[in-house]
Amino acid sequence: MSASLVDSQASESIRSPLAEFWRRFRHKYVALGAGCLLLALLVAALAAPLIAPYGPATPDYDAVLEGPSWVHWCGTDAFGRDVFSRIIWGGRISLTIGFLSVALGGAVGMLIGLIGGFVGGWIDGLLMRVMDVLLAFPGIVAAIAVVAILGPGIDNVIYAIAVFSVPVFARLARGTTMVLKQTVYVQAARSIGVRPILLMLRHILPGTMPSAIVYASLRLGSSILTAASLSFIGLGARPPSPEWGAMLADGRDYLGVADHITLFPGIAIFITVLAFNLLGDGLRDALDQKLR
Amino acid sequence: MLTYLLKRLASTIPVLVAVSIFVFGFVHALPGDPARLVAGPDAGPQDIAAVRAEMGLDLPLWEQYGLWLNNAVHLRFGKSIRTQEPVSTVVAQRFMPTLWLTLVSLAWSMTAGIALGVLSGVRRGKWEDQASMVAAISGVSMPSFWLGLLLISLFSVRLGWFPTGGYDSWRSFVMPAFVLGLGVAAVMARFTRSAFIEVSAEDYVRTARMKGAPERRVIWHHTLRNALIPVITLTGLQFGFLLGGSIVVETVFAWPGLGRLLVDSVSLRDYPVIQAEIMLFSTEFVLINLVVDLLYAAVNPEIRLR
Amino acid sequence: MLKWTLPLAALLATAGLAPAQAAGNVTMAFDNNVLGLNPANLNDNLSMSASRTIMQGLFGFDKDMKLHPLLAESYEANDNATVFTIHLRKGITFSDGTPFNAAAVKTSFDFMRDPANHLKRLSLYAPIDKIETPDDSTVKITLKQPFGPFIANLAHIAFAVMSPKAIAEYGKDLDRHAVGTGPFMLDSWQTDTLKVVKNPHYWQPGLPKVDSLTIKSVPEDGTRISMLQAGEAQFIFPVPPGMAQSLEHNAKFDLIHKPSIYARYVAMNVLKKPFDDVRVREALNYAVNKDALLKVVFNGYGQKLDSALPSGLAGYSSQGGAWPYDPAKAKKLLAEAGYPNGFSTVLWGNSASLTRKAMVFLQQQLGAVGVKVEVEPLEAGVMISRIYGVQKPEEAQTQLYYGGWSASTGDADWELRPLLSKMGFPPTLYNTGYYSNPKVDADVQGALETADAAKRAAFYKDAQAQIWKDAPWIFLVSENILYARVKNLSGIDVMPDGQTLTLDAAFTK
Repeated sequence: MSASLVDSQASESIRSPLAEFWRRFRHKYVALGAGCLLLALLVAALAAPLIAPYGPATPDYDAVLEGPSWVHWCGTDAFGRDVFSRIIWGGRISLTIGFLSVALGGAVGMLIGLIGGFVGGWIDGLLMRVMDVLLAFPGIVAAIAVVAILGPGIDNVIYAIAVFSVPVFARLARGTTMVLKQTVYVQAARSIGVRPILLMLRHILPGTMPSAIVYASLRLGSSILTAASLSFIGLGARPPSPEWGAMLADGRDYLGVADHITLFPGIAIFITVLAFNLLGDGLRDALDQKLR
Repeated sequence: MLTYLLKRLASTIPVLVAVSIFVFGFVHALPGDPARLVAGPDAGPQDIAAVRAEMGLDLPLWEQYGLWLNNAVHLRFGKSIRTQEPVSTVVAQRFMPTLWLTLVSLAWSMTAGIALGVLSGVRRGKWEDQASMVAAISGVSMPSFWLGLLLISLFSVRLGWFPTGGYDSWRSFVMPAFVLGLGVAAVMARFTRSAFIEVSAEDYVRTARMKGAPERRVIWHHTLRNALIPVITLTGLQFGFLLGGSIVVETVFAWPGLGRLLVDSVSLRDYPVIQAEIMLFSTEFVLINLVVDLLYAAVNPEIRLR
Repeated sequence: MLKWTLPLAALLATAGLAPAQAAGNVTMAFDNNVLGLNPANLNDNLSMSASRTIMQGLFGFDKDMKLHPLLAESYEANDNATVFTIHLRKGITFSDGTPFNAAAVKTSFDFMRDPANHLKRLSLYAPIDKIETPDDSTVKITLKQPFGPFIANLAHIAFAVMSPKAIAEYGKDLDRHAVGTGPFMLDSWQTDTLKVVKNPHYWQPGLPKVDSLTIKSVPEDGTRISMLQAGEAQFIFPVPPGMAQSLEHNAKFDLIHKPSIYARYVAMNVLKKPFDDVRVREALNYAVNKDALLKVVFNGYGQKLDSALPSGLAGYSSQGGAWPYDPAKAKKLLAEAGYPNGFSTVLWGNSASLTRKAMVFLQQQLGAVGVKVEVEPLEAGVMISRIYGVQKPEEAQTQLYYGGWSASTGDADWELRPLLSKMGFPPTLYNTGYYSNPKVDADVQGALETADAAKRAAFYKDAQAQIWKDAPWIFLVSENILYARVKNLSGIDVMPDGQTLTLDAAFTK
């Protein structure tokens, strides 16, 4: 009774967007759980030196391919390296690849979308055709090309995956920009002579954020998977990096002989990607105006 | 409608020309002398010179592009450097396996995805909603090469139900189509769910419900039909992506499709095959988009007028 | 051709479980694709193996790579190895009915060595000046200059004899229409599956014993092993060493491993600091534990190198045991050379999974003596441009290069000349460390100029001793060839160079 009373009172007052978001998001238990899990993973990755019982690259040739035990919780790999420690350290790399590639692809894509949507005309046409070309170009080939030209390594994997993300971010941002451009407050701001750049950054950019955030959270998971695919074709992180995909790809040389080497990094990827996706879905439900 | 069609058709030409320049530039920007790669590790200098001449790589770059474009317009794609076969034969042979795999994957994943999406949408916020979404998303959260290898060791080696791969009988389609379709199913389920919920809030659905139409009729007749319209776009897009062939699935299941061909061609710098294949993907993609746009225009006349 | 109607037909068919194993058909799964069948246009082991099912040369190898006459009966050579007279076996026909004789040999060789045909194995034919046919069953080959290992070259599949009728008919399309005197004939070849069927006119009585062979490309290691286990393939190659254990001691399969003629090494760029100092090169040799390398990377399937040449190669001579593992001595040598705290360097190699693993291992080992190694696996094309894009040796960026080599002629010449002589400097050949020693160069040249086996062996012995002393490589291992068959299949074997022989294929009982 009293709770509903408070609630209805609150809905009448004007809330900040963040509070409004939280009001709707806190009941998404699945997404909330996923968020907490990701936070835990992030903390574990940051605190890797404190948590991991062994170094990620420390070999022990007398203890190769050992199954899980109290000494090595997830067993050891072909070099006798502790799989558990490598997963903890690898979290740093996999999460970095996810965050940076999405941030980079998102930034470039949104810039293109904002400019295209705001300026319109032939510039918009040109930019969108370029995006079409990029979208029509098979993503993994673009990634192979980037890695082949720039060489292997995590930084180049990040660029390669970022290239994938650009066109969709651009389309999302462009769509929202075109709608917002017509709104009263933007028209008003324009009529009082606010500079276009300021208009874009101050008034339109924030409006494009919700859809971008949702897409970014979904994209994070697929970036981690793409990095794994690149490792699968031998163009991923440079050895001896414990990037999860690389662990999985290297470990498949021992399938049927020592399955624990692939099982644990596989589970790590699965849980992380699943969590990003569930979080993204929750965010979408909470942020999307139309689904309210 | 006809003018719209012609206008849209004409607008694809610059995109394709841009792609062709991009592809040509990309192929030649790849480091590595294809003549040396093709001639192999124990070839002498004469062998390499022979291969280079055979491939026409001794000509200036612009001349190579001109020749290639002219030939491509006339649907002549030359011979594969790797296998000496005509490129059209190489690509055509690989196209059918990829097309069939795409169709089978798309068929099951659309059915399953839309069903899960509708279930979720109808039971929004209930446990069925959460369970279906978690199930749909789980499928797309596993690295597909790992999932593929696990399936093979279970269903081919342990149980002997399905062959490990190859393009032979319907049994050989089951596992690759399953793995390939998982991603599509997840996207479809999510998208259908959103579209379904969105349409549920529309006035005409509310009206129908208030008028006392049976719930089943509201769902099937009023909501789903309208919710599925945007799903068309998504299907088109997914179809385009899948037709590119999946490098990972085709490698794991020894599927003789376009994805594997592309990787092999890139690693041997088989210029004619890479170029032809990417042009094929891009053309497919552009055409599918065109068809989707036309379907849309047919449904919604407003688009035509713009 | 796999048809449009395939899924429909397949749905209608009430297919059995595993594809029925036709009596006498052997399905063989390999990691690569067959790229062609014209033997003079091939450079990968699988295509050469496939073309060996159809084509034969004057000389051949057995499964241990011992040379023997095949379409030839005997030969004579002059003392300075310039004229080779070869006597042919009589009464043989190609599978298309054309008789095999001296004229056919001349037609085939002349076609294959014609530069206008742009075939990839031109360099193997390059020593030939002219080919004469004194009579129907004698071929006289005159070389431009002395070339001792010529008979070994003739056993290379590039010298297989193609039917003159096929040459006339198909010319440049021989890769898809090869016709030879071999035990099988091409039946079909679609995308990743090639099928050959029994040649009814085959000249060796009683052979072949199976009706057909199917060669399938299955790139993923795990899938290939699963195919064998699921009964879809009867022979697989290669078996990755990490997974070999799952086939070992199994009642259903034979896992076969035997020494290869592969040499695994790290070439050090001797033109660059610090590798110009022999003490540094020795130190790195002392720093690597080859036993651990065998155990960790090759799962024990291999031997330590005790010379620049692997023990299976003709011309090999032992240097008295592998380089000892002695990290303390390595550190001492590094200190003497002026690197008491080690140095940093970059190791290049291809992106194959075994190479990556070996490079990580080397990184660990060299790290233990203070040499910080950055591992850089390179995509094939990138590797080529980094190594062969170099026009002057001084400009090469190579520091350490992890390589593997198997001499496809089975002879020392084709390892020492391309990898360790001045003639082998890139971009011509593969001496990625730019090692050259006048003594070695003279030995390699000397051995080229005689056909006398004893003299050639002496030259190669001297060269190997000098190379061991100069230590231009970190001498590592020679891994085993690993393949597997179902228990009731025999007669399909992989030679030490990685090519597969199928002539004797047979199912027992």
